[in-house]
Amino acid sequence: MSEPRRITEGTSAHKVYRYVPWAIFALVAITAPFWAAHTPAFSVGESTLTFSLGNLNHAVAYMVGVLGLGILVGYNGQISLGNSFFMGVGGYITASLVTDNGWSFLSTLIVVLPVCFVVGMLVGLPALRIKGLYLALTTLGLAAVFPSIVRMEQLRDRTGGANGKRITSDLDAPDWAPIEEIGDVLSSIPVLGEWAYGEGVSGREVDGIWVYLLLALLAGAAFWVARNLIYSRPGRSIIAIRDNETGAAVNGVNVPMTKTLTFGFSAMLGGLSGTMYAMAIGFVAPDVFGINLAIFLIVGLVVGGVGTLSGAVIGGLVIVFVPVWASQIESVPGVPERFLRGPTGTFFLGVLLIVLTFFLPGGIVYGLRKIRARFVQVVPPQEVAGGEEVLVSAGDATGGLMSRHGGGSALDLDDDVVDPDGTGDGTTHRVVPASAQQTNQGEPT
Amino acid sequence: MELFLARLFDGLSSGGTYAVIAVALVLIYKATTLINFAQGELAMLGSFIAYILAVEQGMPIYLAIVLAMVLSAVLAAGIERVLIRPFDPADHLPLVIITLGLFLVINAVAGMIWGFDPRSFPRMFPEGDVWTMGIARLRWYTVGTLATVLVLLVLLTLLLKKTKVGLAFRAVSSNLESSGLVGVRAGPTLQFGWMLATAVGTLAGALFVADPFRQLDPTWAQRVLIFAAAAAVLGGLDSLWGALVGGIILGLVESMVVGYVTWIPNQMSLAAAVVAIIIVLLIRPNGLFGSKAVERV
Repeated sequence: MSEPRRITEGTSAHKVYRYVPWAIFALVAITAPFWAAHTPAFSVGESTLTFSLGNLNHAVAYMVGVLGLGILVGYNGQISLGNSFFMGVGGYITASLVTDNGWSFLSTLIVVLPVCFVVGMLVGLPALRIKGLYLALTTLGLAAVFPSIVRMEQLRDRTGGANGKRITSDLDAPDWAPIEEIGDVLSSIPVLGEWAYGEGVSGREVDGIWVYLLLALLAGAAFWVARNLIYSRPGRSIIAIRDNETGAAVNGVNVPMTKTLTFGFSAMLGGLSGTMYAMAIGFVAPDVFGINLAIFLIVGLVVGGVGTLSGAVIGGLVIVFVPVWASQIESVPGVPERFLRGPTGTFFLGVLLIVLTFFLPGGIVYGLRKIRARFVQVVPPQEVAGGEEVLVSAGDATGGLMSRHGGGSALDLDDDVVDPDGTGDGTTHRVVPASAQQTNQGEPT
Repeated sequence: MELFLARLFDGLSSGGTYAVIAVALVLIYKATTLINFAQGELAMLGSFIAYILAVEQGMPIYLAIVLAMVLSAVLAAGIERVLIRPFDPADHLPLVIITLGLFLVINAVAGMIWGFDPRSFPRMFPEGDVWTMGIARLRWYTVGTLATVLVLLVLLTLLLKKTKVGLAFRAVSSNLESSGLVGVRAGPTLQFGWMLATAVGTLAGALFVADPFRQLDPTWAQRVLIFAAAAAVLGGLDSLWGALVGGIILGLVESMVVGYVTWIPNQMSLAAAVVAIIIVLLIRPNGLFGSKAVERV
């Protein structure tokens, strides 16, 4: 294996390295619905797997749910399984207000976000005393209770009882949105255009893409807010509590307040995800938001990467498309056909959860970073003006002691610069100037 | 009075079954300080194995249940060896994730093999009533379940207190490192804990679905897991007899609350269980009979 290419921080090559992937991601995110609108199908053996716009919208909604869970579990270290409860609350509030009161989808967020935030804080209050496994158990109970709450007789008018509630309002694309035009432009791309985007989009496809764009905008806003939170001072408090609660308290972090607010924020993202689900599917049912979704969210979190934000994108896609594709498998050699008509999606997600915990505990995002680190390495500038702080990898110095969670320590965020080996387990530290460090050598640390 | 007795008997009968699954949870917790989220699903799988042996293979029901207990214990030994032992017992998140993965896999496999149509499980106890007064019927099922739980708890207590395996088990659960120093091999002992817990779980599953009012399908354990966990937490997660008391209290609360507080709908008994967990954990985190946790800061 040849030496990885070194890119110095702050150079133009570094800028390309940092921003080009984002540009590619944005391009893919915008063009994906135009591709999915024609429901492209892939043949695998005798089965045909499809990539439909409806499923894509569903996945975008779940991404935010996984993100909310990831902030609580991955960054704050509170093992909660109850985020499906808040998704249910959000989804049902939106469904009821839109159908029964004639609100528009987006305006229901005015109710959903504060309600979920407050309910989340209320649930978070006992979590101050209930920790670890007990919290996981309690929140799993919460997730299990949700379907019976919406089935209650007293709420039937609002929730539709056991049959679920169909939302009688369509999200139609407004006339000013140039969706058809973009579709035409994409399909006029030479060679690739017609194959991928067909004859452009029309009718219901346009409405579907409009929903996608709205969802993508909401998801983008959610990720942006979450990123800013994690990289800010409160975010560092959140992470410090995960890494060492006593240490955080000693350093002046208001532990109960931070934990409760994190619970509320996570629940708020859950509620947003529920609203987005209602927008994407147009139908809410009690068992959608049951114990299985609670565990699916954990699957999404673990598959994407605990302690990363971008992992939620992968996680949302996985927990929607794995079950969809599993149900489309027609035949597998040596497996009776009636098995394939059972809950194969749940089976694959369970297997995926176990396999990843064994072989890739950091999730797909860390796997990708590991691969990238074999080719590209970002190094800090060599020359530093006298006396200023320099970034030095201290992964060897701490012997990985600080990385118990597989997600790195408080200072090891998603940042490439402070993570030279790209695996996330090489902890990095801001240390005293290089000259001062020299004098400390040999002393026990 | 009759109504009260009827509800009392109902509560005792469901409480007894919650108690048995709670015992299984307690066994795992005692050994590993881990809540096995797949415990309910393992019990469901065990009850299906017993069903297959009894109905499709035509075995006597008691033999089928014993054989199912043995088979599920072997399965649990494999699960412990392959999926649980590689992880550090002190780090909870990976272990929680593994047991959640098992939850999904076992649930899905049962659904794929046996489908979701309800089946009726063979009777374990004679039909009919021991004693009746108007509408209050003390069924043989209720008596049989409670008797089974009592016998099971006595046997488990003897096993843990009087045998060498039990001594090793208690040593490992009280202090993993020190028990290693005095020559107890932690791995096989924990494996034994898993086998024991799963066998008990299978018995619990069979007892639960043997109620003529219940049916066997791959989803029954999801609700019951929450009840059983509530029972275990109520009694103290490391107390076997506490699990019995917790289970019966919970069963009684369920039947009394739903019976007497009319504005609470039937469906909400599960919520009552969750609220019970939260209240117990807030006020008395070690449950009624659990040993006090000592935290070193």
